[in-house]
Amino acid sequence: MNGRFDGSSQSGDIMAESLLRLEDIEVRRGKGVVLSQFNLEVHAGDVLVLHGENGSGKSTVIETCARLLSLENGRVFHHGKRVLDSEGRRTSPPEAFGLTLQKNGLVGDETVENHLKTVCFLSEKSFDLTEILASYGLDHRRHDRIAQLSGGQMRKVAVLAGLLPALLTNEPRLILLDEPATGLDEKALESLVNHIGQLSTAGHGFIVASHNSKILECATRIHNLKTEKSNVPNTHEPWKSTATQHSTSLLSARVGFRYLTSTQAAIARNGLTALLVLGTLMGFVDPSSIENRSLLVGFVLAAPFAAGLAGDPVLYIMREGRAVDWWRAQVQRLPSSDVHSLTIGFVFTAIGCIVFLDGVDWRITALGTLMHWVTMNCVRFIELSTLRLVRPNAVFLRLLLPILILPWALVTDFAAGL
Amino acid sequence: MSTQVQEGEEGVIYMRGRVAEVLLGAGFFGIMATLFLGFHWAPSVSINAFESPAAQRIFYWHVPSAWAAFIAFGVLFVGSALWFFKRSAFGWRLHVAGTEAGLACGLMTVWSGCVWGAAEWGTPWDWTDVRLNTFGLLTLLALFLVLGRQSQPDGVETRDTFSTFGLYGFVLVPLTYMATRIWQIRHPGPVVAAGDSGGSLESSMALVLMIGALSFTLFIVGHMLISMRITQLEQRLEQVQNSLDGGI
Repeated sequence: MNGRFDGSSQSGDIMAESLLRLEDIEVRRGKGVVLSQFNLEVHAGDVLVLHGENGSGKSTVIETCARLLSLENGRVFHHGKRVLDSEGRRTSPPEAFGLTLQKNGLVGDETVENHLKTVCFLSEKSFDLTEILASYGLDHRRHDRIAQLSGGQMRKVAVLAGLLPALLTNEPRLILLDEPATGLDEKALESLVNHIGQLSTAGHGFIVASHNSKILECATRIHNLKTEKSNVPNTHEPWKSTATQHSTSLLSARVGFRYLTSTQAAIARNGLTALLVLGTLMGFVDPSSIENRSLLVGFVLAAPFAAGLAGDPVLYIMREGRAVDWWRAQVQRLPSSDVHSLTIGFVFTAIGCIVFLDGVDWRITALGTLMHWVTMNCVRFIELSTLRLVRPNAVFLRLLLPILILPWALVTDFAAGL
Repeated sequence: MSTQVQEGEEGVIYMRGRVAEVLLGAGFFGIMATLFLGFHWAPSVSINAFESPAAQRIFYWHVPSAWAAFIAFGVLFVGSALWFFKRSAFGWRLHVAGTEAGLACGLMTVWSGCVWGAAEWGTPWDWTDVRLNTFGLLTLLALFLVLGRQSQPDGVETRDTFSTFGLYGFVLVPLTYMATRIWQIRHPGPVVAAGDSGGSLESSMALVLMIGALSFTLFIVGHMLISMRITQLEQRLEQVQNSLDGGI
């Protein structure tokens, strides 16, 4: 859809902190220019509601603010810091921001509590979720997996995840909500409107794409994609956060570990691939009849190499419901499967050594472990580079993987000499 | 026989004329002539130097098709750069034409190389030969780009992604070219453009190879012109369909 509109800040409060600034933005999607010379500024306390026809560019504005789209021209600033520009620079925002995408961006195997806690950790905060879950009718579901929830309940979790960065702090935060009212029941919608009111009064800034009349009522600025007008919403008591500081190191690795522990995807994909290769080789090869050490070491390293070619299981999990996009917006490094990768590489190389070399050779085992990790990350890199495509699963990525065979052969040759 | 460039209503330029067909036809007959000369006129190689001397004649197909493939990969690189940095629609058409021609010539080269390998080396493929593998990877890249483009709707996301692969993949071209100068595992060192040491090729052999290279060049240029025209017509058709749908 080709739509063009220009927006500019009409905020009357020039003293309020600028949470977001879009400068001369031009964005293409498909064959059309969706945003052209688009300017927008959101200050602390603003609730900017975007409403207009389907396909007019509301989601494009939200996703541009979240650093998810490439810019043809222009710059995006969060809290005065440039986080995205048309030269390809993409840096971390200075403060965590809330994001609810049109698709929920949730991983089905996560529990409600784990997902929301992860959002808290991204803001380096700890927070008692009981009250907030109750206000959305989710308190009895906090330990359930997201996949077990209804569509409306999933939407509530996604909306809560979007609001949390503001609920966790009294410092101004940016919140981006794309069609948050879709699928919510009356009680949840009322809670959402109350939270938007309380949080904006407390100084947080919102951009909300919505057609819902209740959401429009709580706007301070309404963009109809051609013009913008001011609105005076009902007053709310400002939100007071009770969250406490809680920093968590290696969050991406921890989240990846949790995803894989709950889904066993690493075993299902990489582990079984290695097992099949090993089983096939054992079925057709009698190691005692082969004297060529290079060949035997090649058999040992074949299983971890093939397992690496299966790719990163965390990326596979995160393709569900645009979770990968939600994570790309939040962090520079996506959750990874480093721990599982090293474990699988180690185990299958060691088994291969026992089968083909009559005992574990620790140097070859270390090489096999490393080979699995490197191969998997190469495949992950290639997969990530095609994520922008409309149908990323339809490309023939495996055609590019033979590029890894020559390095594998060289490592095998080196390992045989150890 | 002239090529006309016409400006469409929406600023779309499209070509008419028979230049592409003439080049394609001339290239085709040149390739046929090369094969004839290669099989019937060019001298045989020394039976002492080769395991399978007769199979050597496949080089009159193998070397020119590899030459044409490099031209196609060069066009792919230029087209990718023009799209990626200049947003040139002409650049995208070059990219598409380069991938299709690169795939066609790459497959011709790989296939003829496998025939030679089976006859002379006793194996159609050797994973330790760098030139063989880098050229194989280039052909796989072209296959990836052709199949990938067909699997996606045309748009800026598709063009950006595949142009990026085209730009980075071009690294394999100089690597393939230099491979035999660094590692002479299966492929010999340069025999035509050998620099100071001079070539080891007999003049009649070199002549047939030159005719082959020229013919493949004409053929591949014609192929790419036709491919660009088809891409342009596809885009024009989509525009018309969109306007019928009430869109842009």
